[in-house]
Amino acid sequence: MLIKLAFRNIFRNYRRTFFTFLAITIGLTLLVLMDSLLHGMEMDTFQKIISLETGHLRIYSKGYKEDIDNLPLELAFDPTALLNTLHADPLVKGAVPRVNFRIMLSDSVNELPALGMAIDPLADDQVFELQKNLAKGTWLTADDDGMLIGNELAKDFNVNVGDTLTLLTRTKFSTYQAIDLKIKGIIQSYDTEIDNNSVILPLALAQRSLDLGSEVSDISIRLKDQGQIDQLKKRYNSEFKDFETWAWQDIAENVIALTQTKSKGSKLMIFCVMIIALIGITNTILMSVFERTREIGMMAAFGLKRRQIVALFVLEGSMIGLLGSASACLLAFLLIYFWAVPIGWDFGWMLKDMGSFGYRSYYMTGVWNPGMFLEAFLLGVIVSALTSIYPARLAAKLEPTEALRRY
Amino acid sequence: MSVVKMENVTKNYNVGKLEVPALRGLTFSIEKGDFAAIAGPSGSGKTTLLNLFGCLDKPSGGKVFIEDHDIIKLSPDELADVRNNHIGFIFQNFNLIPVLSAFENVEFPLILLKKHSAKQRKELVMKMLADVGIADLAGRRPTEMSGGQQQRVAIARALVKNPDYVLADEPTANLDSRTGEGILSLMKEMNSKLQMTFIFSTHDPRVMAHAKRLITLRDGEIEADERA
Repeated sequence: MLIKLAFRNIFRNYRRTFFTFLAITIGLTLLVLMDSLLHGMEMDTFQKIISLETGHLRIYSKGYKEDIDNLPLELAFDPTALLNTLHADPLVKGAVPRVNFRIMLSDSVNELPALGMAIDPLADDQVFELQKNLAKGTWLTADDDGMLIGNELAKDFNVNVGDTLTLLTRTKFSTYQAIDLKIKGIIQSYDTEIDNNSVILPLALAQRSLDLGSEVSDISIRLKDQGQIDQLKKRYNSEFKDFETWAWQDIAENVIALTQTKSKGSKLMIFCVMIIALIGITNTILMSVFERTREIGMMAAFGLKRRQIVALFVLEGSMIGLLGSASACLLAFLLIYFWAVPIGWDFGWMLKDMGSFGYRSYYMTGVWNPGMFLEAFLLGVIVSALTSIYPARLAAKLEPTEALRRY
Repeated sequence: MSVVKMENVTKNYNVGKLEVPALRGLTFSIEKGDFAAIAGPSGSGKTTLLNLFGCLDKPSGGKVFIEDHDIIKLSPDELADVRNNHIGFIFQNFNLIPVLSAFENVEFPLILLKKHSAKQRKELVMKMLADVGIADLAGRRPTEMSGGQQQRVAIARALVKNPDYVLADEPTANLDSRTGEGILSLMKEMNSKLQMTFIFSTHDPRVMAHAKRLITLRDGEIEADERA
């Protein structure tokens, strides 16, 4: 009876119920959708770090990681023996050398700091997917005298394939070096570190220009099974005494921490919006109590107990919450299914300076998180019930004699 | 046999720092089958007395017995049980639940009583609606009925659980005289047919004329208690 009564009561003032329902629906839909997009962007960021920047594991000379912000070339090493060992390891899918170094990029008028990334053009795809992100021009050859440049960096200099820029850097022995290089291709990876900040050149050219001989700054490794990262890291650290092996999570620890903090912060903001929406429930039920005072008095006169009066109003609040939560889950499902997962959102135009943004990706695509649907649904219903308790208790506290007198 | 009994009952209200007496030591009882009107001018204590009969309020002093329960000793939940089991209410403004049909409004106290199956409830409700002459309106909601029809639903709702007595607070005050006359006749018919005890408050001399017993209050005291 109480359930039937509560259900009918919520449609007594259907406009008020509708707006409360709408607020809950919008709040919870945003919560689920943002979770999907942020989770997607987080996963995409991690995927990009692995497939474009670090691989699963990375081997440096001892002490390199401690000074990784300076990319110290004096800790470069000859990779030949290590590469042979790694290529022979059945758990390793690929292992490639790279040289990372600091540069200033100049077009004679403007100068911008950037990251020089020297790769083995013929073997890089064993570990990385940089080649798949070539948007314009051609891929590098081993003896190329050209470079690839990130899409956003190219825009900053207003240059295109065929144009020339100057790289200013220091060699291993700290002498200044300036190299004029023609742009052979433009990379658009939707990874902010690559697109906004990177210049990619052939390993041989970098080794020659930086006085490195055959040395490199690191070896990046892709494993056949990502689940073996920890196991291999441990093994390599004990086998290769002069080197240090790090997992991608160790190298990108700041990015991971920042990303996860931002993700939590964004969800907290949406959560607050949702709580505000749910306070609408309190208001709706409170209005309902004021409007139905005499009816409450009548029901009490007929023997409805205080706890049953509380239950009636809590049920009404919960039902609005239930309807709002169910419609939010449906709406979020449709938005994720038809938009977030297959299409997504390129918000690069909104955020020019992506370097400080935390996420590497500036193209949001959603991922499915069924747990979040359940969480949002339960949150909507439970918080609606909880926010109804206060007005429900007010209703139950009314003395029948007083309630029956009111108009 | 008395259905409700009062012994030296007083009721005071606090208005600011003042204590205002509403009832001053009433002692009397209502007998099974009474059709009793409580009359008196405004402020004489009619509503206060009905509230005490209805277990909606407790006296400041004295005792009110309903089926041997001294209501002053009962908790709010126990009072709700007494109301549920022993008392029917008819209100001046009908106070039907607008989202329920006439049938469901009459069924409401039976559901609270938890003593009948759905089938028994249906039979009782339909019989009661037929008794008050609105069986054909069972599916209608209060907003689809006239005032007189709504008061008939309210009477059916008060009687359906076969209470010990029915309290009616100015049951015809919101009805035109012809409809009010019809409602009183119906209450009287139920009183005779079912031996149902009615206690109702009124200002209206025409209503008082229908009463078998007339209790007149003045300044919180019984001025007269007459039987027709």
